[in-house]
Amino acid sequence: MRTPKLAYVVEDDPVTSVITELIIRRNLRCDEVQSYVNGQKALDQLTAALAKGASIPDLILLDLNMPLMDGWEFLEAFTHLAIGKQVCVFVLTSSIHPDDIEKSKYYKEVKGYFSKPLDNHNVARMQQLLEEMPQPETIGQ
Amino acid sequence: MTTPADLKTELYELVKTDLAIFNFLQNTSLDGLWLSDLQVPENEWVSDKFWQTLGYAPDQIPTDSTAWRSLVNPADLAAAREQVQACVREPNRLFEHVLRYTHRDGSTVWLRCQGLVLRDMAGLPTRMMGALLNVTKEKQEGAYAQEVANHYGSILSNQSVYIIRTDPQGRYTYVNDFFYERFGLDSKIIGTSSLDSIIEEDHPKCLAVVMQCFTEPGVPHQVILRKPYHDGSVKSNHWEFKGICDEAGQLTEILCVGYDITLLVENLQKSQHLLDVTSQQNIRLQNFAYIISHNIRSHSANLTSLVQLLEEAETPEQGAMFRQMLKTSTEKLAETIVNLNDIITVNSNLNKPQEPRSLRVEINKALEALSVLIHQNNITVQTDVPADLTVNVVPAYLDSILLNLISNAVKYRSPDRPALIQLATRHEPGFVVLSVQDNGRGLDVKKNQAKLFGMYKTFHDNEDARGVGLFITKNQIEVMQGKITVESKVGVGSIFRVYFNENA
Repeated sequence: MRTPKLAYVVEDDPVTSVITELIIRRNLRCDEVQSYVNGQKALDQLTAALAKGASIPDLILLDLNMPLMDGWEFLEAFTHLAIGKQVCVFVLTSSIHPDDIEKSKYYKEVKGYFSKPLDNHNVARMQQLLEEMPQPETIGQ
Repeated sequence: MTTPADLKTELYELVKTDLAIFNFLQNTSLDGLWLSDLQVPENEWVSDKFWQTLGYAPDQIPTDSTAWRSLVNPADLAAAREQVQACVREPNRLFEHVLRYTHRDGSTVWLRCQGLVLRDMAGLPTRMMGALLNVTKEKQEGAYAQEVANHYGSILSNQSVYIIRTDPQGRYTYVNDFFYERFGLDSKIIGTSSLDSIIEEDHPKCLAVVMQCFTEPGVPHQVILRKPYHDGSVKSNHWEFKGICDEAGQLTEILCVGYDITLLVENLQKSQHLLDVTSQQNIRLQNFAYIISHNIRSHSANLTSLVQLLEEAETPEQGAMFRQMLKTSTEKLAETIVNLNDIITVNSNLNKPQEPRSLRVEINKALEALSVLIHQNNITVQTDVPADLTVNVVPAYLDSILLNLISNAVKYRSPDRPALIQLATRHEPGFVVLSVQDNGRGLDVKKNQAKLFGMYKTFHDNEDARGVGLFITKNQIEVMQGKITVESKVGVGSIFRVYFNENA
């Protein structure tokens, strides 16, 4: 099983953020989890990490409805970043709006769309999708 | 060698001498012949051909020579007798009369009688001769033609269909009475252009159909045209135009038959409007369902996860943390439900009655309600709204909209300059536009257009921002069939424009 070393949780609700962080640490055996309250904060960190050559996340759990920069805006900005490795993005939202599900398919970085809660079923699907991902290219390592 | 003149003399001699010639002439050219004695009225002779005309075979002819009288229509006979008397009195008068006879089969036979009074040497009338021609066929055709004319006449003077004829240039040549009546016109319109009575917007449509009549004559072409009615209203009529050609294939006239479909069109427009309103409401309700679902789900998801985590908690500290989070989540769920309640109130009252309200009075009320906030923050408010301007609104919504927009302007004031809020109105076709302008922090409209009026969208790190204000405002304005727009620049300020629908 492929285990992400570093994961971002981009989520404005603090309770959800804590829960998500706990579950992916425990169930996805993720070594390190960083939480950001909106897309802008996550993007800033990611940009800074790229500039410094610091660790880039393997997995991003992205909420859609957030203030300042929402999930869609983050995805727009994210696709324009030059990241030398494959980053798996999972949308994790309360929305079951068909438009949102459809729209998320336009981003090739989005490997899965998950409706909250992050229950056992959703976790199992995440594990499955992560296993199917090709092993990361070791560019620049 | 005999000349034509000799032949004539010969024929005239033959008539005198050879009975066969006379019989031939009367039997082939006449349908009856009679001679009566003017001195002895009972003394009459009637030819066999007469009886034949009335359907009597030679062996069925009555022996009584006056039997024919009973077969004549009594009124016709009386009239004929009067004429006979007149002819007897006036030597130059010609007798000509059409009489109805009863055929042996009971049907009516019309015989035209031309008579000649014969006089003796002293000029006294002695005999009268009559030559009869059967004119039944002509009479029947005439009666049929009259019947047809009455029939079409009743169609033309009907009370529901317009019938018009125009020349190829579109000038009226005939219109039926119903058309005159309904449009308050008279025969003066004959010869004028039929286009004049149609409203201007429909002229191209009318001309296009006339062109079709030329290119495709003889077949009907349909069109709906509007005309001003005599009471000033406009009526929609469905027309069938047909080009009528002469034998040479040249279009000579256009026949137009139309009927009023105003009620139909109005009903159609009403149902279309209802359909529009319904689909609009449907979209709103569906979006609303997604919003409710989203907002409730986000908390319910947390609750589900927390209960699970609590069960699996490894240490008392962890359990305490989850319980605390559980408490926070239930509180937030309660808060969300309160917010949703506000929104449901707007969405469930789509048919709230609207009343006229003075915009200036309502703005002053809102400013009064916010006066503490305005004074505390040293905000200048300028209002430029005409005193007599009214808007048709759901009163509670107008209050809420004004409070929300003004308090937003206060809330997002710039720390860098004295705050100024300007309220002004202007007029746009169909709308009264109220603008609420501030010189506050502003926001990037391009980036936030879609989210600005959405739910739970906050753009500044403001503690008391619920993120539902503009969403509710937008909903309330839309329920009143208006709209709201925003113009804003970061660091400069924002202008919110509320469009109040004048026809709402």
